[in-house]
Amino acid sequence: MNSLEIINLNVYYGNRHVIKGINLKIPQKVVFAIIGPSGSGKSTLLRAINRLIELDEDAKVEGDVRLFKKSIYEMDPREVRRRIGMVFQQPNPFPHMSIYDNVALGPRLNKLVRNKEELDYLVEWALKKAALWDEVKDRLGDLASKLSGGQQQRLCIARALALKPDVLLLDEPTSALDPVSTAKIENLLLELKKSYTVVIVTHRIQQAARIGDYTAFLLDGKLVEVGDTAQIFVNPKDRRTEAYITGRFG
Amino acid sequence: MIIRDKFKIALIPFSALVFGIFALILIIFFANSIQIFEKEGLAIYTTSRWLASEDPSLEFYGVLPAIYGSLYTSGIAILIALPLSVAYSVFVVDYAPRRIKEWLIIATDIMTGLPTIIYGIWGAFFLVPFVKKYLMEPLYENFSFIPLFSYPPSTGHSFLSGGILLGIMVTPFAAAIIREAYRTIPYTYREAVYALGATKYEATRVLIGYIKPAILAGLVLAFGRAIGETVAVSLVIGNTFNISPSLFAPGYTISSLIANQFGNAFIYEHMVSALFAAGLSLSFIGLAVNLLVFRMLRRWEHARS
Repeated sequence: MNSLEIINLNVYYGNRHVIKGINLKIPQKVVFAIIGPSGSGKSTLLRAINRLIELDEDAKVEGDVRLFKKSIYEMDPREVRRRIGMVFQQPNPFPHMSIYDNVALGPRLNKLVRNKEELDYLVEWALKKAALWDEVKDRLGDLASKLSGGQQQRLCIARALALKPDVLLLDEPTSALDPVSTAKIENLLLELKKSYTVVIVTHRIQQAARIGDYTAFLLDGKLVEVGDTAQIFVNPKDRRTEAYITGRFG
Repeated sequence: MIIRDKFKIALIPFSALVFGIFALILIIFFANSIQIFEKEGLAIYTTSRWLASEDPSLEFYGVLPAIYGSLYTSGIAILIALPLSVAYSVFVVDYAPRRIKEWLIIATDIMTGLPTIIYGIWGAFFLVPFVKKYLMEPLYENFSFIPLFSYPPSTGHSFLSGGILLGIMVTPFAAAIIREAYRTIPYTYREAVYALGATKYEATRVLIGYIKPAILAGLVLAFGRAIGETVAVSLVIGNTFNISPSLFAPGYTISSLIANQFGNAFIYEHMVSALFAAGLSLSFIGLAVNLLVFRMLRRWEHARS
């Protein structure tokens, strides 16, 4: 079964048509990479998948997104966002909160735990899943802003995982990080796909090649091509895909 | 290069003038206070007797009630300004339709610029009788066993009236700072909190936590305005030497004391000096508050970086 199904999705900002009739099926437990040049609508597409786009009053969405066959537009947006976690381009843990509180915030807001023990357990579990536990277990009370950029991004992953989502969306999660931190996150995502569906937007083509099971190429709000990552990179069907991955524009 | 240096040199006297004047103010206050310090020592700040006499040996001035009144009324003002300015900021930024938003911002900006005598007259003729009738009298009748409400509200001129009026006056100052801080929270934090499944209320609570330093800064500014406010307070506080826990009791503030007494202070031997010393205590309070807040902000900033 597909975990996500995007059906004839259109997104408008005022008069601007930014996502143009996209259809996509995203299987379970894979890393699904979305590539494309700046302004191609990658980030907008992600925000339509977890209904975060509704924060922008000017945005209008047509079409449907289904999470395990159920339309997300028939669900409470809060439930959609709980089940489809998101990690952003800039590491954005809440700087005024401790490491612990950052991870605990989601479970607290959604009342996922009944007591302190359960919360402690969940925080530890999420930090371990995000491969951050060993680095922070002795200073959970420190402010999140004391961590390095790479650690902050893994903290954001832990924060998203603590909600026990089905799907994890990542919007260029390594674009602000150094190569070592990037490698750590990429390895982490390969580990996470064993239990989650990971959808990653990236403008680094090599990143999609390294970790994507599937790759979709977006250009100017349209889906140009989607398929096995190997097929997309070795034998693209569309001239524009070939041009993009060989670096002729982008 | 040379031109820039010339420019720099030209700037020095101007900035020196600013600090020079500040130093001069402090010097004048210290110099004029010495007389009363020599006569009374610190008793000027720690006692409550205010005795003006044409016989200098009988003169005695203790401004503790005014210090108390200043802190009490400014404290009330801050307690009022905090919820009002935070609620205003959230409403203006998150909820108000675009056209109303502009008007709300303009309205508060006008409120900050209104001459304080306007507030004073409004307070004396409307606020005092209103608060007396709808707040003080019912509370006194039913809850007079609580010390806060224990004083019979005879005229309505009281700490409470002063505090409420100050709260109204300083809210726009606090609101402007808090509003700007709330408006400029990076969008990514808004997205982050909603992405965790927060409701609007929950998201607001988290984001308010993020601007805690700005809220504190806004309240400090408001406190400074409140404790320095003179005319408006003197019209509603009752101008009575009194240290009472009751909100309904009349009192004095340092500023209103100076304003009320300065006109005839020259008749007496020591009163002018006593009033200078009273004014000096305001600078001490201001300095103390600023140091305290500076340390808190530093700690937050330090923790943050």
